[in-house]
Amino acid sequence: MPTDNTILFLSQKAMDVRIQTLEMIARAGKGHIGGAFSCTDILVALYYGGVLRLNPHQPDWPGRDRFILSKGHSCEALYCILADQGFFPQTELMRYQQPGCILGGHSDRSIPGIEADTGSLGHGLGVGCGLALAARLDGADYLTYVLMGDGECCEGAVWESAMFAARHQLRNLIAIVDNNGMCVTDRLEDCTALDPLAEKWKAFGWDVSEVDGHNFNSLLSALTGVRERTSARPLMIIAKTVKGKGVPFMESCLEWHHGVPKGEQAARAFDALRGMKC
Amino acid sequence: MLTKGIENKLSAGGVDVRDAFFDELYRLAGEDRNVIFMTADMGAFSLQRFKQDFPKQYFNVGVAEQNMVSVAAGLAMAGKTVFIYSIVPFVTLRCLEQIKIDLCCMNLPVKVVGIGAGVMYGGDGPTHHALQDIAVMRTLPGMTIYNPSDALLTQASVRLAYEHPGPVYVRLEKGCLPVLYEDAAGGFREGFAQLRAGKDLSILATGLMVHQAIAAKEILSRVGLSVAVFDVYRLKPLNEQALLDIMLHSPRIVSLEENSRIGGLGSSLIEVCADAGCRVPFFRMAWPDGHCREFCSREHIHRHYQMDARNVAEKILAWTRNT
Repeated sequence: MPTDNTILFLSQKAMDVRIQTLEMIARAGKGHIGGAFSCTDILVALYYGGVLRLNPHQPDWPGRDRFILSKGHSCEALYCILADQGFFPQTELMRYQQPGCILGGHSDRSIPGIEADTGSLGHGLGVGCGLALAARLDGADYLTYVLMGDGECCEGAVWESAMFAARHQLRNLIAIVDNNGMCVTDRLEDCTALDPLAEKWKAFGWDVSEVDGHNFNSLLSALTGVRERTSARPLMIIAKTVKGKGVPFMESCLEWHHGVPKGEQAARAFDALRGMKC
Repeated sequence: MLTKGIENKLSAGGVDVRDAFFDELYRLAGEDRNVIFMTADMGAFSLQRFKQDFPKQYFNVGVAEQNMVSVAAGLAMAGKTVFIYSIVPFVTLRCLEQIKIDLCCMNLPVKVVGIGAGVMYGGDGPTHHALQDIAVMRTLPGMTIYNPSDALLTQASVRLAYEHPGPVYVRLEKGCLPVLYEDAAGGFREGFAQLRAGKDLSILATGLMVHQAIAAKEILSRVGLSVAVFDVYRLKPLNEQALLDIMLHSPRIVSLEENSRIGGLGSSLIEVCADAGCRVPFFRMAWPDGHCREFCSREHIHRHYQMDARNVAEKILAWTRNT
């Protein structure tokens, strides 16, 4: 169990990431706030919770764990974390989506700390399968993590990859679904029958863990110890989240998939984030 | 150099070009254990020993081409050179976006091998025909495309693909095609080769159509037309300067390909001319913009679309007389 101090530290980091994300998007006038906020706590748990094995000073260190942000549109939150950890200068965040900046609206691997080009959905899990399979073939002990959206799970390719991972018993592959229940223009349940999501992944041959994606105790209980897992199956962590988490008027509100707050609205959003409980 | 196996088969009367490819891939996989082969449930006789002898380098991913491309990308990111294989439309168009993003955007050494160039799958219909792949694949930044025309060149395409650091597409034939190349001197680095000399016009062909071009040349020689034949086996990147020189120094140019007339070899060559500000008499012979629903052999389909050697010769002759 993480200590109270750890939880406090992670909560503070999550608040910082959300504020910085909002600053980036407000400055650029574009971005994907809703999805970035729904997966912020997952990213913070991975990067600050002692989960990922990384070396910011050597981004291509062969022994690093591989993390793929398959829902590439949520990159703003990840950019803030990578800058904070020293993968690239903080000043680059201020130039997000500006001419000459390395940080675009979807992440690509020209950015230190980013493993794969993503943005079109349904690619990351397959790429993750390849990395995990390569580790198996090479006898390497790195783990591969893939963060997907639940809307992304509408892509057929995701399920092709799910079957492949199960067939090859890629126990070194950990996928996480940011399960905020929404896609761009609708609630998922109004688009397609994605639920019961956990049962689907189980039926596809995965171990499945369901967690509260905004609770660090819950997240770390699923993420801690994955390196010592004895199961032969790949692991799916379904993280129940809220789109736009942290700003009440954005939460579970479709318009904030890629809406950008301005003026008074932006001020209210910053106030809400600063008031989040740490 | 010819390898012993292919030498023996050639002297015995021919070698299946698909076997030439997979036999060479087998040798390569034995030399480099980082060579991985993935198939979307397509087999070949010559693949059986690969699967048997290199089980850790052979994966049948099932009928799941999109995943195959993405998995190959992940393997390549970890240092593997991956050959992925299926029927042309399935391994190119079905998973085009994965090829664009996972392979080309990230410039990864994954080699897309498609069997069934043009209408090779004849009676199987438009779902299995490959008449758009050249046009589509050549628009992808960073993609290299080979369309080999005989066994030796097909064999060489394995090493050419392997040695190239980025993605490659190989458009594969099958069956025993007549020998065009006696040796691999030069290593097929030029991207094209002159196979026959002629002074009245030049046919620039690719793939199986190189053989039609040679046969058409023989027919046209009987009416006094002297025809040069070039095999453009690397469709991207084209050897633009050398091909432009050829086009500028030939009285007439004919392009000949088993692909839609939109976007293929002919289009590529015309773009080269246009970009150089050159006007040359140019006759583009390719497939019409439509779905081929002639459910019969490749040879019959060629005759139906007037792309067999006799019709090619007649159309070229008519063109030379009317222009």
